[in-house]
Amino acid sequence: MLAVALLIAGLGAIAWWTGRTRAAALARVYDGRAHSLPAHHGWYVALWTIVPAVIVLAIWSNFTGGLIYQAVLASPEAAALPAAGMERATVLSEAYSLAIGATEQSFRPEASGIAPAYERAIAFYGWIGFGAALLIAFAGGAFAFTRLTPRFAARRRIERLVMAALRIASLIAVLTTLGIVLSLLFESLRFFSMVPVTEFLFGTHWSPQVAIRPDQAGSSGAFGSIPLFWGTVFIGAIIAMIVAIPLGLMSAIYLTQYAHRSARTWLKPALEILAGVPTVVYGYFAALTVAPLVRDFGLALGIPASSESALAAGLVMGVMIIPFVSSMADDSIAAVPQAMRDGSLAMGATRSETIRKVLIPAALPGVVGGVLLAVSRAIGETMIVVMAAGLAANLTANPFASVTTVTTQIVQLLTGDQEFDSPKTLAAFALGLTLFLMTLALNIYALRVVKKYREAYE
Amino acid sequence: MSDALRIDPTDWRTDTMRRRIRARYAAERRFRLAGLAAILISVGFLAFLLITMFVNGIGGLDWTFLTGSDATDPDRVGIWGAFKGSLLTMLVTIALAFPIGVLSAVYLEEYAPRNRWTDVIEVSINNLAAVPSIIFGLLGLAVFLNTMHLPRSAPLVGGLTLALMTMPVIVIAGRNAIKSVPPSIRDAALGVGASRIQVVFHHVLPLALPGILTGTIIGMARALGETAPLLMIGMRAFIASPPQGFTDPATALPVQIFLWSDEVSRGFVEKTSAAIIVLLAFMLVMNGLAIYLRNRFETRW
Repeated sequence: MLAVALLIAGLGAIAWWTGRTRAAALARVYDGRAHSLPAHHGWYVALWTIVPAVIVLAIWSNFTGGLIYQAVLASPEAAALPAAGMERATVLSEAYSLAIGATEQSFRPEASGIAPAYERAIAFYGWIGFGAALLIAFAGGAFAFTRLTPRFAARRRIERLVMAALRIASLIAVLTTLGIVLSLLFESLRFFSMVPVTEFLFGTHWSPQVAIRPDQAGSSGAFGSIPLFWGTVFIGAIIAMIVAIPLGLMSAIYLTQYAHRSARTWLKPALEILAGVPTVVYGYFAALTVAPLVRDFGLALGIPASSESALAAGLVMGVMIIPFVSSMADDSIAAVPQAMRDGSLAMGATRSETIRKVLIPAALPGVVGGVLLAVSRAIGETMIVVMAAGLAANLTANPFASVTTVTTQIVQLLTGDQEFDSPKTLAAFALGLTLFLMTLALNIYALRVVKKYREAYE
Repeated sequence: MSDALRIDPTDWRTDTMRRRIRARYAAERRFRLAGLAAILISVGFLAFLLITMFVNGIGGLDWTFLTGSDATDPDRVGIWGAFKGSLLTMLVTIALAFPIGVLSAVYLEEYAPRNRWTDVIEVSINNLAAVPSIIFGLLGLAVFLNTMHLPRSAPLVGGLTLALMTMPVIVIAGRNAIKSVPPSIRDAALGVGASRIQVVFHHVLPLALPGILTGTIIGMARALGETAPLLMIGMRAFIASPPQGFTDPATALPVQIFLWSDEVSRGFVEKTSAAIIVLLAFMLVMNGLAIYLRNRFETRW
């Protein structure tokens, strides 16, 4: 495979050089007034050499699977194959992995018997495809080469291709969004055909364990997602924000209004490092260090405390969000016009009075927008809650108790068995869809608030 | 009441006024201290975290740990297998996300007509940048594994998923970098007869490259630390030997940390922390490189 790719790239390079030299020679004959530069002609020939050959190879590799299968079945070795469909398929797939060298030895003697037939078929069709690609490459290159004249508009053709590539690249983002929405929607619809929407949205009991046999007791799990959304909001939007809003806002104020220049050059990167620490590290820290401290503190207060508490996860998540809140607050305070600040100071207000009475009220819409974005990031955060928040779906307001979140449950549901028709695995997609819609709504609303506020001061 | 009326409100020498000024200055100092406390708490938490990991993990960092793979015995585990998995995943990610991201940024910033379709592209890029990473994992599971039947647990699928996640970050950074190249450069190039493609690829893009690379490295650092999407596509298997190619079952550095953190045996605490030190060291190197690039090559126009 690699050899073929290198060969085609090499042919392309040769084609580029040939086209370029030819165009340069033509231009000299033609008094140097060609339409395009020699390099454009070179690229034109090179692309005609590479692109058709790659397309042929891609199409061919999609077809050969079936052809190889036919060839193997027609080979004399195939007579020894078991007739039963299931066993036959296993033997064939084992022989295939033997033939391509993915495994060293097989468990079935029939597989090693038929592997040579596979090898022959793969080699045969491989050579055909290779030959065809080579032929097409030469034909394409020759065709392009004969078109080169000084009047030939190679540049325009190359540029048309570049524009097409740019357009396709920018489409990928739209396709990804569409892919997310469609895949979530499709799997969720399958889920909602098994579990009613109302139960999912308004049920207060969550226990997704589905029994293996339908006649077993409690065969259908309970899929009421209210406790999960409460846990998500409790950790991400309440506890984390109680930590992150004051600390983030005050950090931003101190850094922009008070800190010495030299202190700022050290403190600001330190805050940025806080944002760059991977969430799995925060999660481990929350589970290993913070959770025991929180539990001991809760027990000392006489509150029933779990070792996987909402408070531990929320505290660490709040710290993770601090740099985010701080940079949003920083931006919105910086956007307040200097005249308002100067006016307040000129009236004799102290700096803290200016900040509290003028800057923050003026920057409030921006700060609120930033906080909403922070909430949306916090509720979508996975690793901290997976490692520190626990699995019990409790509907409680006790921060020392264990709650579970949407993201924790998605991970939990999809890392066990991999049956794709059980409501248990499909529930993960329904949760994902709700989470996606929640964060989407928060983001759109927050961006609108921030944008409106920016316009007000411009 | 009568007291307040008797004194001259602008006379700061009276006791009332002095008291008031003292109170205001005290409030000023308290506010300033609160700000300092806020930032010290944040930075102190970071220091506490780093020191805890360092103290726990430094004993576990040795040659067997750096060159080995996963094992059931905490004394014999190593990081190389997971590290190689991360490396292969990152290669796939950057090979896809960088060209696509840069080309989309160029298109949106330089060529896109102002119409409804361009708005759709912009809105979807901005939204993708804010979608929770676990949703990308669900996408990868539904599209790459269940629809396209690519191999489970493979760096190829992990890289594809992370590429979709990283691409919007590169597009946004790229657009800002391209936007900061002054129009006079474009005008000059157009003026001497360059085509619109030549203007961008010969002049604008080279000047914007440091900014684009900075954004790319930051996006890649984030992808390197990402765990949740990789869990979704099954890169959490027990892998006792390093992956040999892009389609072999593999795990990644952060996922390995997650897996070890679940182990009951006490010996894994040290190994998990040691793996975190390795991961953090790489993040630090990548971010340092980004900052260096920004300071060294970025031109202020």
